[in-house]
Amino acid sequence: MNRDNLIGLTDLLLFIFIVILSLVGLAILYSATNQNLDIVLRQSFRLLFCFVLMLSICFIDTNKLKIFTPYIYIASILLLLFTLFWGHDSKGATRWIILFGFSFQVSEILKIILPMTLAWYLSISDDKEIDIKKLFFSLIIIFLPIVFILKQPDLGTSLIVLICGMITLFLSGLKTKHISFIVISFLTIAPLLWKFLLLPYQKQRILTLIDPGSDPLGSGYHIIQSKIAVGSGGFFGKGFLNGTQSQLEFLPERGTDFIFAVFAEEFGFFGVIILFLFYSIIIFRFILITLRAKSYFAKTLSGSITSIFILLIITNISMAIGVLPVVGVTLPLLSLGGSSLLSIFFAFGIMFSIARRS
Amino acid sequence: MRKSILDSSRVNAEKIFNNRFYILLTILLLLVFLILVRLYYLQVISYDHFDTLSETNRIKYVQTSPRRGIIFDRNNLVLADNSSLYSAQINIKEATNIKKIIEDVDREINLTKKEIENFYEKKIKYAHLNNIVLKGNLSEEEVAKILSIRYKHDGLDVTASLLRRYPYKKITSHVIGSIGYIDKKDLLNLDKKKYRNTEYIGKTGIEKFYEDTLYGVPGYRHVEINAKGRELRDIEKKPAFPGDDIYLTIDINLQKYMYSLLSGYVGSSIAMNPKNGEILGMISTPAIDPNRKLWKYEIDQDEIKKLNSPLFNRSINGLYSPGSTIKPIVALSGMHHEVINSLDEYYAGPFFQLPTSSRRFRDWKPEGHGMVDIKKSIIQSCDVYFYMVANKLGIEKLSSFFKYFSFGSKTGIDMPNESAGVLPSKEWKFKNIGYKWTDGDTVISGIGQGYFLTTPLQLVYAASIIANKGTISIPKLNINSKPKKNTEILKIEEFLKNNISLEDWNLINDAMFKVVNKKNGTAYWSTNNKKNNIAGKTGTVQVYEISQDDDRKDDKEIPDHLKDHSLYIGYAPADKPEIVVATVIENVGSGSKYAAPISNKIINYYLDNVRNNFE
Repeated sequence: MNRDNLIGLTDLLLFIFIVILSLVGLAILYSATNQNLDIVLRQSFRLLFCFVLMLSICFIDTNKLKIFTPYIYIASILLLLFTLFWGHDSKGATRWIILFGFSFQVSEILKIILPMTLAWYLSISDDKEIDIKKLFFSLIIIFLPIVFILKQPDLGTSLIVLICGMITLFLSGLKTKHISFIVISFLTIAPLLWKFLLLPYQKQRILTLIDPGSDPLGSGYHIIQSKIAVGSGGFFGKGFLNGTQSQLEFLPERGTDFIFAVFAEEFGFFGVIILFLFYSIIIFRFILITLRAKSYFAKTLSGSITSIFILLIITNISMAIGVLPVVGVTLPLLSLGGSSLLSIFFAFGIMFSIARRS
Repeated sequence: MRKSILDSSRVNAEKIFNNRFYILLTILLLLVFLILVRLYYLQVISYDHFDTLSETNRIKYVQTSPRRGIIFDRNNLVLADNSSLYSAQINIKEATNIKKIIEDVDREINLTKKEIENFYEKKIKYAHLNNIVLKGNLSEEEVAKILSIRYKHDGLDVTASLLRRYPYKKITSHVIGSIGYIDKKDLLNLDKKKYRNTEYIGKTGIEKFYEDTLYGVPGYRHVEINAKGRELRDIEKKPAFPGDDIYLTIDINLQKYMYSLLSGYVGSSIAMNPKNGEILGMISTPAIDPNRKLWKYEIDQDEIKKLNSPLFNRSINGLYSPGSTIKPIVALSGMHHEVINSLDEYYAGPFFQLPTSSRRFRDWKPEGHGMVDIKKSIIQSCDVYFYMVANKLGIEKLSSFFKYFSFGSKTGIDMPNESAGVLPSKEWKFKNIGYKWTDGDTVISGIGQGYFLTTPLQLVYAASIIANKGTISIPKLNINSKPKKNTEILKIEEFLKNNISLEDWNLINDAMFKVVNKKNGTAYWSTNNKKNNIAGKTGTVQVYEISQDDDRKDDKEIPDHLKDHSLYIGYAPADKPEIVVATVIENVGSGSKYAAPISNKIINYYLDNVRNNFE
């Protein structure tokens, strides 16, 4: 239906809301950076680049995409390795590499590439049932990049990438007994992970979530200030550019992790509802695309993307309202940052491509 | 067949997928719903709570200290005022690279090595503070240079703080006192709310006594601040109300003159107007410059050791035996109790002896004075005569008469921590020394020695009562204060006026006039200027007791710290006194040689130069 259209008439709606949310993102970024036009302009260029990327991917046939998938996976593993050896340090972790003059965080894009690879792996054989052998290789596909990300070290992103992979496995019909096995084994090793794998600052982050008052000027500061920002927004908010928590810089990481707090402070509960409605329209289109997807690969991939998109929103907002530890997840379309933007628009491209084929 | 199996597998897989997709979506939507509930709770239900938190986050209450009142002398000359002290300081919580800031500042204004070391020391010592001073007392040029590089560094700033300036330095240091950092002891008694954000408080002298008057009423500002604590703008403010100025009774020219006479000695001199109690000049030496005390935040301990207690205000806290200056009062007492009268004569030999003891109480004049009466024994300061008077009176009568002249109690001057001195009494000796009173103790009380200690202020006060013939003026430093005579003072005044005859007063005044104006008076040679009709009395206080058989040694053989204290009380003009002076000089020698000439110079200077100037 309407295959000749650029992106398909039905998904013009999707396209329009992506544009709207991107503009909302630029506006709130303008406020969060204390009206720093420079940063906003740079983000606009990134957005333009991402739109171009999205439209290019949109024209790639889903089957071709499927064929490219293993190569993309291997390339991203290599880039992760490259990051470990030649990446540059920031705040005690090596997460970034410079690609074509842009600094780039490879682990971000794995949130999409890992589900894509799993969808490819599980769809190549005719029998769609996930037996023990398939499960084993699936887990290898999942854990190979995660080990490298953990090594950076970046526990937050590792966990998110792991969950993204698990979502694909779950959607592909992972057997209930395997699910219980994975859950039980995770619960068994969790205390060991806490003891041996977590670094003191990571433990602190989790502990402060339980009691932010224990260290109000240290790790609890982010959570306390963010909650104050959100709560003091009230029903209608303090107004655009009038958020005292953000304008007076009480709120840390305003452009990235806590952009939602800036939004909630300035636009209030009412604004948040509107924001949720905008996101809902995108998600609703995603669900439709998933249900209409023709191939198994396309269905699994679009289902995963839909779920991950919702998950990222939930995680980021949960951080801002103090119910999840600060794990460094950005808010799709609103947060500052090239890598997360790139992976989100990469996902959008895939969704449009799938939509064109259905 | 194969195709159908594949189809059914496909259909089956799709069914499983849809099933799982719906489950996942349901879970995720449930989480979204929970987030919305949480947001509703934060933004709608708990709005007031977070709104308050956000306001207190961004609004700081800053109390502004009032401008301290200025202190003037009686001719409206400034004795203490305020100027701004600019200092470069670094906010150590805000600064990102302190080393770099110091390097840059050093390049602009050349810091000394010591200043940099001090900064790091203070940074550790006062780690709880935000701002640490890098260099204080900046010149205007230095202020401009630092301001020019301030934009480059977060945390570097120039602040102005109050600097109390005492233009007359050492000359007024004990009277005015000084302000200093509020310390733990001050915090115990002061209104913490009023002094919030204030660094200094009056520590001594007028600055302390009139702290409430000088301080004023603090104002406040509600300032919006950012997360780093930098002030952005005032939301609301009420300016501070400056402290009241104080006009002192001090005449700075007389004070300067008095200081020039006393500097180099250890001692005190006070000039007072006997008519109204106004202190015209008040000196205690040695003194140190109070301005330096402030700038260095503390006093140089070495300098204190070198000098003889320069912080000690001898005028109101120095305790000295009154010596022979007490003799006019002993004579009044003797006449009042009728143990002597103006007509009797008495043979005063080289010493006095009690009938019960072999101890000899020597006269200062080795050969004795021969036949003396009251007047002559005051004029020549005959010790033996007053040993006799004291012995006849007994210590109770003597002591209670001394009380009428404020000895043993505070005069009530508007200065903090005035000393009351010691009145000779049986009770005091037994309580403080542990021995019983002897008749010998009574005898030497008659010449102002023994267990009898007075302050220079008490001496000038007593002298003013003699000069006024019984009228009491309470000493004061604030020209506008009206010290009230309490019932006890009124009772004393009534007694002195009604129970002591005018003849007695006149006799004493005449005797004291002759001390200065009759050839054999002990202070005759102390001044050549006799036209101001000065009356006075010398005193020489032994610091150590000469053994009774020992002849007095030559002054030169005695080490400095054992030399006599030189005392003098005087007033003029004798018939209508306008100025009373009391001077004590420690460890120099006789009263007639040191204290008397100095005091008489002060009196003459006042009557010839100062008084005439404002008439």
